[in-house]
Amino acid sequence: MTTKQDTHADGLPYKEPSGVEKFQETLREYGVTRTVTYGLLGVFLVWTLFPVYWLVTATLKTRQTLLSFPPQWIPLDAQFGNFAQLFAQRPDFVQFIINSTVVTITTTVLATTIGAMAAYAFVTFDYPYNLDFHLPFYILSTRFMPPIVTIIPLFVIFRGVGLVNSLQGLILVYTMFNIPFAVWMMKGFFEEVPDSLIESAMIDGHTHLGAFFKIVLPLVKPGLIASAIFTTIITWNELLFAVILALNADAMTVPVGLASFVTKFSVQWINMSVGATIALVPVLLFAFVARQQLVRGFSMGAVGK
Amino acid sequence: MVTVNYDSVKKAYGDTIAIEDVNLHVDDGEFAILLGPSGCGKTTTLRCLAGLTQPTEGTITLDGHDVTDVHPKNRNIAMVFQNFALYPHMTVRENIGYPLKVAGTSKEEREERIDEVAEMLEIPELLDRDIANLSGGQQQRVALGRAIIRRPAVFLMDEPLANLDAKLKISMRSRIKVLQREMDITTMYVTHDQEEAMSLGDKLIIMDKGHIQQIGSPDEVYHQPTNQFVAGFIGSPSMNFVTVRREGDRIRADGAPDAFDVELEAEVADRYRDHDAFTLGVRPQYFEVHTDRTENAIEAAVEVTEPQGDEQIIEVEVGDQPVSLTVVAPSTIDAERGDTIWLTLDDELVHGFDTDSGQRIVGAGDQNRGVASTPEGEMTSD
Repeated sequence: MTTKQDTHADGLPYKEPSGVEKFQETLREYGVTRTVTYGLLGVFLVWTLFPVYWLVTATLKTRQTLLSFPPQWIPLDAQFGNFAQLFAQRPDFVQFIINSTVVTITTTVLATTIGAMAAYAFVTFDYPYNLDFHLPFYILSTRFMPPIVTIIPLFVIFRGVGLVNSLQGLILVYTMFNIPFAVWMMKGFFEEVPDSLIESAMIDGHTHLGAFFKIVLPLVKPGLIASAIFTTIITWNELLFAVILALNADAMTVPVGLASFVTKFSVQWINMSVGATIALVPVLLFAFVARQQLVRGFSMGAVGK
Repeated sequence: MVTVNYDSVKKAYGDTIAIEDVNLHVDDGEFAILLGPSGCGKTTTLRCLAGLTQPTEGTITLDGHDVTDVHPKNRNIAMVFQNFALYPHMTVRENIGYPLKVAGTSKEEREERIDEVAEMLEIPELLDRDIANLSGGQQQRVALGRAIIRRPAVFLMDEPLANLDAKLKISMRSRIKVLQREMDITTMYVTHDQEEAMSLGDKLIIMDKGHIQQIGSPDEVYHQPTNQFVAGFIGSPSMNFVTVRREGDRIRADGAPDAFDVELEAEVADRYRDHDAFTLGVRPQYFEVHTDRTENAIEAAVEVTEPQGDEQIIEVEVGDQPVSLTVVAPSTIDAERGDTIWLTLDDELVHGFDTDSGQRIVGAGDQNRGVASTPEGEMTSD
């Protein structure tokens, strides 16, 4: 038996789709929705990837073909010698790559480790005056100001203690700048680990340090990798601090090296393209290798209950 | 084998008091249950013993040794958590053996003990599975395995069956009881399920609002509740409470003085001679239901009946300003919504509570009454 509550105003036991819903259904039926979706994605892809394509193809062109108009879309006469030419003209570029590698790896290890441990502490322990709530905010607040603001005082301090033009100086600055990010990213992951797992580890015989390394870290591995990739990318590409704090070849990093191809008299477009392509490879490779963990890391909820 | 002692334990979070004035003693090999509604402080009490929560005041001793400030890892306790807290990145074998691994036990002995425990819990075929691929009941067994492999001095369980379905709960319940008896390990077990508590425990510690309300055997807390809270919390369906006035041996309900007007046996009424008004407590099982008018009975209108198979739960209303009562009757009684039935009281089994303090009114010389009959939810035989 149908009672009054079972029906809508028009007497039907279900709700008629509205005009908009019917129109959407028609669009789906004829594949319009799908076409538009893929079309927009395509535009976006070209928008982001074309500069990369242009950069990579530039490494195979001559200066003339690179700057010609109409542009040469595909390098017809590939100049593989460009790579050798860069290292012949700028032998110090090898040093830049070594510097960048040392700085990036050290910074990533330091920032991720310190950040993760700090985040664990904030999530797990209760500090007086609610500091476990306030401190993460203050840590993050160091990133609120434009980085350029701190450069002058940093430069003065670094010159005083002899850290200008040194890899240690760069590592110190980069670690400091990446820790807030690592703390916040890892905080989210640690919050997902049930307290009872840590407590269980303590009862099973661990201290907090043991529980952190043996139980919690393996569970937040995706987060650790995601935050390491971020730190790596940021550090590897950083130019602003490096250009001011590391000006001689001993401490110069790849981005500074690339910038040095712009001279008072000309821009060495081909060398710059080759250098930039080389700089692109390690980060891409790293992200590619870790991409599965990266996706899990960004989508959170990676820890099963 | 260890005795547990709490001496004036208090835990406060700022101004909020979680538990206060907790004094209790658990004997060697005893199965003690901390029972109470959610937020009553039972888990806090357990966590203080585990060392996961630091008491604000008081001391906890294991076998006479003060462990109040000892790190959990040094207490020789094992704990089973409500969500099992298995390590998701390890296999079943690694999970069960983990406490031994941390303790530095040799691999051979570890493997031997793991196999032994797996045999005991009937899960040898699961040993090399991942935790994520186990059902709730299997995870529960692994959690038990990880706890017993250490042969701890005290076994702590925090609502270990709360995440299981009803059928599994009952089978796991008897398994836990058998395991506890076999291993003879002092156990403290937290639950909010009174049926579970009654069927498992040697000793029930009933808590409410951070305070212990009563400590006693399942029989004692059922038949001799110290106060109205315990009386209402233990037993299913809950005890009926009616505010009554006493006139000589007669009691009449506030709100339904005509329909609820019964004469108590002189001996029972004598208990309440100092109280002109009190709260009468009657378990739903202790009414007798009549479908014909009966002498000295409460006249009640049937609101709803819930058949339970053997018996039925009947909700009735008494009087004009209705007093609601819950009655358990045999299913042979034919009652429909709107029918009138007559209820007689089993005088010996009613309780009276002081309306202000909630304490049970105890007459002289009736400390041990009522224990002879078989109430609902008594210990299941094993």
